[in-house]
Amino acid sequence: MIPIEPLTTMIRWQDIIDILLNAYILFRLYVLFRGTQVMRVVAGLAFLWLFQLVASQMGLVVTSWVMQGIAAVAALIIIIVFRNEIRNVLQAQNMRAILWGFPRKNTLTPVDILTESVSELSRGRIGALIIIPGKEDIKDKVQGGVEWHGLISKEMLLSIFWNGNPVHDGAVVIEGRRITRVGTILPLSLRQDLPERFGTRHRAALGLTQNSDAMVIVVSEETGNIILAKGNEIIDIHDGQVLRHNLRRHLGIGQDSVKGVKRESLELAAAGLVCLLCIIAVWFSFTKAMDTLRVIEVPVEFTNRKADLDIFGTSASNIRLYLIGAGPLIKHIQSDQVKVSIDLSQAEIGTNTFNLSAKNISLPPGIRLNRMEPVVLTVSVDKLSSKRIPIQVDWVGSPPAGMRLESAVLSPSTIRMVGASRQLEAIDTIYTEPVDIGKLSSSGTFHTKLLLEPASAQIADGEADRIEVTYIMRERTPL
Amino acid sequence: MYFRLVCTGILLLAVMGTFSSGFAQNPQKQVLSLEQAVVCEDIEDFRPVNPGLAFSIENGSIICFTRFAVISRETFIWHRWYRKGELVAEKQLVLKPPQWSTYSLIQLREFDKGPWRIDIVDANDQVLTTLRFSVIE
Repeated sequence: MIPIEPLTTMIRWQDIIDILLNAYILFRLYVLFRGTQVMRVVAGLAFLWLFQLVASQMGLVVTSWVMQGIAAVAALIIIIVFRNEIRNVLQAQNMRAILWGFPRKNTLTPVDILTESVSELSRGRIGALIIIPGKEDIKDKVQGGVEWHGLISKEMLLSIFWNGNPVHDGAVVIEGRRITRVGTILPLSLRQDLPERFGTRHRAALGLTQNSDAMVIVVSEETGNIILAKGNEIIDIHDGQVLRHNLRRHLGIGQDSVKGVKRESLELAAAGLVCLLCIIAVWFSFTKAMDTLRVIEVPVEFTNRKADLDIFGTSASNIRLYLIGAGPLIKHIQSDQVKVSIDLSQAEIGTNTFNLSAKNISLPPGIRLNRMEPVVLTVSVDKLSSKRIPIQVDWVGSPPAGMRLESAVLSPSTIRMVGASRQLEAIDTIYTEPVDIGKLSSSGTFHTKLLLEPASAQIADGEADRIEVTYIMRERTPL
Repeated sequence: MYFRLVCTGILLLAVMGTFSSGFAQNPQKQVLSLEQAVVCEDIEDFRPVNPGLAFSIENGSIICFTRFAVISRETFIWHRWYRKGELVAEKQLVLKPPQWSTYSLIQLREFDKGPWRIDIVDANDQVLTTLRFSVIE
C-alpha cells in the first residue's frame, strides 16, 4: 500500500512554477480569444471531453471511442476552422498585448452620432445597412465594397446612403471611430420564417449576424423603420434610447464606465481563478494519481570517475526500478528520462560498495520510486597497467605410443597484457588453447592461440595473440 | 717507529675491513648455481628418467629434479608446485656443499590433469627458475 504523503512533500517548487505558468498561459488564451467563437467551440470541446470521460466510466464503448476521436482532432479542428480568428488575434496585437496586456472592449465608437444618424436616415426614409463587428473577424463573411477609413459623422453617413451615391446599396462597416468599408455585400439569410415586410437588406443583415457576433442596423427605405439584428434576434427600434442602449450593450459600454471596468476586472479575475483551478486539477490528475506501477531496468551510469582509474567490474550493470505514477505519465516514460547514477569521486582502488537510494535515481516529474533492486552495488575500480606474463602450452591428450614430449620452445615466450593492476598481479601465466599431444609428429612446429582469462585483461597493442611452438619428441624409456 | 705505527694501522684497517664485510654479508645469501632442473617420471642413479613437458596421469607420480653445482655452505631451497596457478604443494629441500642433487615428488590424482608449474625458490625467496608442464591422460 502506498503511504499518503503530506502536501509539502508532494509538491516541489518546480511543480508550483509548472502550475502557475500553465495557468497563466491558459488565462492569456482566454483573454486573447474571449468573445470570439473560438471560445465557444473550445467550451464545446471541453464538454465533449467530459462527456467522453463519463461515457468511458459508464462503459459506453462506442460513445467513448467516438468522443475520444473528436477530442483527439479538436486542436486540428480549432486551427483549421478558426485560422482567421487566431491570425487576427496574433497579428493585431503586439507582444505586450499578447503576453500581459488586457485589451478593454472598444469604447471609442461614437454611439450618439450613430444614433442620431440612424434616426435621421429613418426620418428621410433612406435605406441603410450599418455593420458594427464584435470580436470576430468578418472579412471572410462579407464581399466587395471599398475601403475607406473615414471618421464617423452624421453627414458622412447620410451622404453614403444617399440614393445617388454609387455605394449606397451596400453596407458600411464601423470599427471604432471610423467607417472602414463602404458598399459591402453581405450574405443573405435563408431563413423561411422572416416576415414578408423584410426585404433584401433585412435578409442581408441576418445573413451576417447568424454567422458572426456582429450587430447590424437596418433602415428600411420603404417604411423608414429601424431594426437591429444580432445573432438570430431581430429587434424593432422605435426609440432612439433603445437603439443607444443596444449599441452600448453590444460595444460593452456600461452606463457607468467605472462600473463597467470593475465588472470586466471581476470577470478577468474569475477567469484567472478558473484557469488556475483547471490547471491544478489537471496537474493533480496527471502527476499525483499514483495508480500505476511500472518496472523498468535502467543501466547504471558512473560519474566523476578519477582520470587514472577504470571500472573493471560491477555486481550489476542494470538496476530494476519499480516506479509509480499516473497511468498516462508512466506509459510515456522514455528510457532517457530515467537515470541511475553513481558518483565515483570517492571511489578507491579495489571493491567499492554503494548503497543506492533515491538520490541516485533521476526521474521525470510526477513519477515516484517505489523500490529498486539491487539496493547495494559493488564496483571494482583499478588503475590500468601492463605486465609481461609467461606463456604456457596447455598440453592435453596422450602422446604417441612409446614417445614423450621432451622440450618445446615458445616464440614469443611471454606476452604483454593490459588490464586492472590488481587483476594483472593475480595472473602469472597465460595459457594457450589446448594442444592435443597425440596429433604431434616426432618433432616440428605449430602455431596456437592464447586463451585470455579473465576477459577484462587484454593483449597489449602490438602483441600477437598467436605463438609459435617448436617441440621435440623422444622415445620414452620404459620404467 | 713510524714504520711500526703504519704497519699496525694497516693491520687494524685490514682486520676491521674483514669484520665489517663479515657482518655486512647475510649468512643466508649465497649465489646458487642451478645446473639442472627438470620434471621427470623417475630417478635412477641420481639421474632423471624421461624428463619432459607432459606426463600421463597413469604414471601415478611426477618428480621435480634439481642439481646444484656450487654450494658454499648448507642451505635450503623450496619446490613450490602450482596446478593452474594454485599452490598445491611446497617442499623444503636441503642443499649441502660442495654439490647437491635433490628432488621432490607428488602423487597424481585424477583431477590433477591440466597445466602445472614448479617454482624453484632459494632461501631468500628468490625464484631460481620455473618449470612448466602438463599432466595429461
